[in-house]
Amino acid sequence: MQKTLSLLSIIFLSLLIAGCAGTQNRHTDPENDPWEGFNRKVYAFNDGLDKVVRPVAVGYDKIMPDPFQRGVGNFFRNLDIPVTFVNQVLQGKFTQSLDSLGRFIVNSTVGLLGFFDIASKAGMPYYNEDLGQTLATWGYEDSRYLMLPFFGPSTFRDGMGRYTDSFIHPVGRAIHGRNEWGLWIVRGIDQRARYLDQDAELNQAYDPYVLMRDVWMQNREFQIYDGDPPMADYDLYLDDYSDEESDPEG
Amino acid sequence: MKTLIPTWAPRLLLAAAFVFSNGLFAQTQADDPVSLVEQTTGYIFANVAENLEEYTANPDALRTLVRNDLMPLLDVDYAARLVLGRAGRGLSSEKIDEFSICMSNLLVNRYSKGLLYFSSEVNLQVLPQRGDLNEKLTRVRTRVMLPKGGSAPVDYAFHKTPEGWKVFDVIVEGISYITTYRNQIMPEVQANGIDSVLARLGSGQLELAD
Repeated sequence: MQKTLSLLSIIFLSLLIAGCAGTQNRHTDPENDPWEGFNRKVYAFNDGLDKVVRPVAVGYDKIMPDPFQRGVGNFFRNLDIPVTFVNQVLQGKFTQSLDSLGRFIVNSTVGLLGFFDIASKAGMPYYNEDLGQTLATWGYEDSRYLMLPFFGPSTFRDGMGRYTDSFIHPVGRAIHGRNEWGLWIVRGIDQRARYLDQDAELNQAYDPYVLMRDVWMQNREFQIYDGDPPMADYDLYLDDYSDEESDPEG
Repeated sequence: MKTLIPTWAPRLLLAAAFVFSNGLFAQTQADDPVSLVEQTTGYIFANVAENLEEYTANPDALRTLVRNDLMPLLDVDYAARLVLGRAGRGLSSEKIDEFSICMSNLLVNRYSKGLLYFSSEVNLQVLPQRGDLNEKLTRVRTRVMLPKGGSAPVDYAFHKTPEGWKVFDVIVEGISYITTYRNQIMPEVQANGIDSVLARLGSGQLELAD
């Protein structure tokens, strides 16, 4: 375990150093992305990794029938529920946390380790919480965008949250405790396969890095606000257009 | 909202499209955002479900439907100005009109493809209006029930124009079309100029979806 982790941190650190040395090319609208130079390097690294991962995901998508893929998706979503439960408690959402607990018990047993989402069929609600969202509801609302190697888009806050959550996440525990990476790899392939439809859109974008960042950041805010984020400040977009001197460096 | 650009050009285009329509848009013109969404999407979804085979064989017919029955509900001029942002400064109004027409064509294509992709059994649930209603700006929240199970949250941002409430942004799972598109278009216009972007848009290369 120590060996793999230290390998990861070496890769991570070297990328960090490379990022700091690199030029900060900020030709985009400043979302909260002061580390854009570094992030773009990690993005390029992940993009390179994707040359290997994508074909595997395409193969998986071709070979595995849809019901099986849905089952695998259900299985991994069910494994996220303990993290959701703990964070619902941390956020004071006690009633919802009981829903999650019930969902986990039902799906893990009757749903055969989560492969069948019996809970949803029975009308039990599905929630998704994690430590990043908890920190956000505690007041750590804005965090700078951080592209993680292997894991993809995140923020500094959510990266820390993710690492901490991994100690109660079944997959994370398998990695920390027994150096068991199998589930993690399967989950990665399964998740990658779910985004295959979006590849064309990303590749055609003027700036794929920015597209991925904007989509992720907006969707993340959507999660933090449990599906009900405040509206964008459209007037600001318009001021941008008409006012000669306004230059909102957010 | 002050109107900065003439609005006749896109409307002329739409008017031209109306000539070829079969008079389907005789819907009653409700003027509250929730009814507008319910009526329009209800009508379009039902129509697509009924004529799915025809539309699959002839996407142009579907595009005509979208152009006639959905586009009048959209304020593409306003959306175009939001997307251009500061890159729109100093552009002639003709260029901005041109950009707005390109955008409306893209939207028609994109929405038509989406309709075909989700095909028949799409169901829409309009959530009750909540507190964020305001005299000029509001949001209608909907859930699109997907054929494979699950649902996608789709919100419509409305603002009040002299011609009534119009949609200017669509937000899917929190992802705003305007915000996302703007961050792609604005730097490109600033780097390459509006003419190059218009040329790309016109040739279909900039169509985000495949």
